[in-house]
Amino acid sequence: MHVFPIIELGGIPFDLSSIIAILVSSILVFALARAAVSNLSVHNPSKIQNFMEWVLEFMHSTIASTMPMHRAKRFITLGTTLIMFIFISNLLGLPFGIVTDVKEELKWGNVVVISQETIEEHGGYAHVAWWKSPTADIAVTAGLAIVVFLLVHILGLMMNTKHYLKHYFEPYWFFFPLNVIKEISKPVTLALRLYANIFAGEVLIATILMLGWIGFPLLSIWQGFSIFIGAIQAFLFTVLTMVYISQATVHEEEGH
Amino acid sequence: MEFVWTSTVIAIVAFVLLYFLLNKYAFGPLFGIMEKRRELVQEQISSAENNRKQAEQHLEEQKQALQQARKDAYEIIEQAKTTSTKQADVIIESAKAEASRLKEEAVQDIQTEKNKALAAVRSEVSGLSVKIASKILDKQIDQKAQEQLVDQYLNEVGGKP
Repeated sequence: MHVFPIIELGGIPFDLSSIIAILVSSILVFALARAAVSNLSVHNPSKIQNFMEWVLEFMHSTIASTMPMHRAKRFITLGTTLIMFIFISNLLGLPFGIVTDVKEELKWGNVVVISQETIEEHGGYAHVAWWKSPTADIAVTAGLAIVVFLLVHILGLMMNTKHYLKHYFEPYWFFFPLNVIKEISKPVTLALRLYANIFAGEVLIATILMLGWIGFPLLSIWQGFSIFIGAIQAFLFTVLTMVYISQATVHEEEGH
Repeated sequence: MEFVWTSTVIAIVAFVLLYFLLNKYAFGPLFGIMEKRRELVQEQISSAENNRKQAEQHLEEQKQALQQARKDAYEIIEQAKTTSTKQADVIIESAKAEASRLKEEAVQDIQTEKNKALAAVRSEVSGLSVKIASKILDKQIDQKAQEQLVDQYLNEVGGKP
């Protein structure tokens, strides 16, 4: 299997492929959004502006389906950032990969990129993958899930203090551990679901590539399907985030 | 597959940064534009509504004006009719009066002519009678007849006051 280039700077490990992927995704999302608003017009919106407006409208209606309409507005930017970042991240690993074969220890200056032990572990040479979907790394999806986790609980505490605290002890006080497990399982499942889907997709792509030319039609089918999965997972992550926020901030009676 | 915790931190930082950058430089302005468009549409709808109302009002006014014009025309025609009838009556009346006046005049003229003719005839007759009388007097007058004649004239003169 592929080895990822992990370097250590002052005892702190950095996964270069993940960092590259995160940066590329972020820059792509920002560039796309900037392109959409580069030539803003009320009367004569450009195609890409129309597209971005459609994305915002879509997010608005999606968020509004999980919480009252008037609360949905302030989460549109969050939802759109999430869905765009995750979707583009999911697609990033699909079209191509950058893999180098390393047979000797790879060093940049004093920084060890691939250590001799790693190479020996993999039988003399290592396939180093420089390019992947950031969401195919559980560390990255965990980061996103942590953001969502913090957001949900901070918003719950700030906007809905009494009912938020009360819901840990419902329906009876001794349900507290169960409720805590439930709350913890939410971000964990978010991170794992996204990671597993995208990682599995990339593993399968790598596996199909081993078939050589025979796998070509299979590869194109799977890549198409992976785009679909990427969209579904991005949508799911965003919607679940909104559902969690809604659960934490909107009091039941208020919601009806 | 190892869990590299710096990737988590970098992902969080990148995401939060991306969120704020997008909010400030992309979605914020876009929301502004969408809001502006919404206002524009609202404004256009309300102005269209206003225009419709105005058009309706104008139509109503036009209708009323048309109605008024029709009524005026009708009145004018009515008036013309009555005036013409009255005028015809007046003309006929005056024609009748004229006719009777002419008739009266004619009758008077006839009367005058008749009187004149009578007078003329009378003078003629008296002249003739004087002539006849003088002729008779010239030829056959005698004492007796002269006396008789004088008496007769005297009688006539005396008898007619």
